[in-house]
Amino acid sequence: MRVPRSLEVWKMGTVNYLDALKLQDKLISRRKTHKISDTVLSLQHPPTYTLGKRRTDHNLLVPESDLKTIGAELHYTQRGGDITFHGPHQAILYPIISLRDIGLGARNYVEKLELTMIELASLYGVKARAGGVGETGVWVGERKIGAIGVRISSGITSHGLAFNIDPDLNYFKHIVPCGIADKEVTSLRRETDLVLPTEEVIHEQLISCFARLFCFSDLIWKEDAPILPDNGEAE
Amino acid sequence: MALRMWASSTANALRVSCASKAHVSPAFSLSRCFSSVLDGLKYATSHEWVKHEGSVATIGITDHAQDHLGEVVFVEIPEPGGSVSKGNGFGAVESVKATSDVNSPISGEVVEVNSKLSEAPGLINSSPYEDGWMIKVKPSNPSELESLMGPKEYTKFCEEEDAAH
Repeated sequence: MRVPRSLEVWKMGTVNYLDALKLQDKLISRRKTHKISDTVLSLQHPPTYTLGKRRTDHNLLVPESDLKTIGAELHYTQRGGDITFHGPHQAILYPIISLRDIGLGARNYVEKLELTMIELASLYGVKARAGGVGETGVWVGERKIGAIGVRISSGITSHGLAFNIDPDLNYFKHIVPCGIADKEVTSLRRETDLVLPTEEVIHEQLISCFARLFCFSDLIWKEDAPILPDNGEAE
Repeated sequence: MALRMWASSTANALRVSCASKAHVSPAFSLSRCFSSVLDGLKYATSHEWVKHEGSVATIGITDHAQDHLGEVVFVEIPEPGGSVSKGNGFGAVESVKATSDVNSPISGEVVEVNSKLSEAPGLINSSPYEDGWMIKVKPSNPSELESLMGPKEYTKFCEEEDAAH
């Protein structure tokens, strides 16, 4: 018997990376103590480079000081994965969900995140696939269209996936993306001949693919959700 | 020799029945569907094991845990001399771009850590109860061990958790 599961969806527009991190930390504690149900943040970041727990900064090809001149920030995080870039026109989902409630481990969770992006790409006739061993992410041929970097703390997820709708791919030239050299980065715009709808539509499609793959039966949409104030209570 | 009990691990055979597209998991040999659970150890609900021998307790993650993680590529463990407390994180493992916190089942002082894990993180996959041990702790409150699960309970716990989808 499947218990109906609801997902709260926060549609947030453009959010600074650190603000999103602080919000996720708050939501993780609330999810751990069952004050909130499973939640997903849907957003994009201003130009931002991030590193994972392994701090692989040898994969940043320019001095950190140069990043400021190109209008980008750099952040070190606790997520898995290597260096990556986030920016405008890249759809991000940060699910804050309890894997224990659905009996999923890290590997199956990441596979489903890959599938989420693969299904979205297929809506536009783009045949994407999951990466092989050591190449987690979503690929079209030998070109990477979607990246994953996740943190799991006491069974609660944070960070998540980033899908390239039409970001400025030049930003990726300053890094070895995900630590994988000699492989290109691509975008939905590049891979499909179809005219793309507004990005809001694509974000909603990404959320629907996610919700379906994770068997959420009810979606509760929160538009223009504000960052939680420091006193910690939601509106 | 420890008596091995076999528990089914259905998560590897998980099928997404409600999604419109059938998803075929990567092929697994039948033996990988069963995680091993050892006698003589105690288990936490967050899938760590403790082996208490005299004044020292060895801690690691279970076969069920490593199987659900995938190939471990990086392990973060504390320095000896630090302390751990029951239910709180002491380190992390990374696999498939996911960093998973590892929690200590008991409180105490870290007296030794497995330094082999920095060069060979895959030991956690290949030998989760032996060569893949993570830290050794001097328990500050040995009664905490009593609230942990024994092998039978843990086996049942894993079955129930994997069936919850």
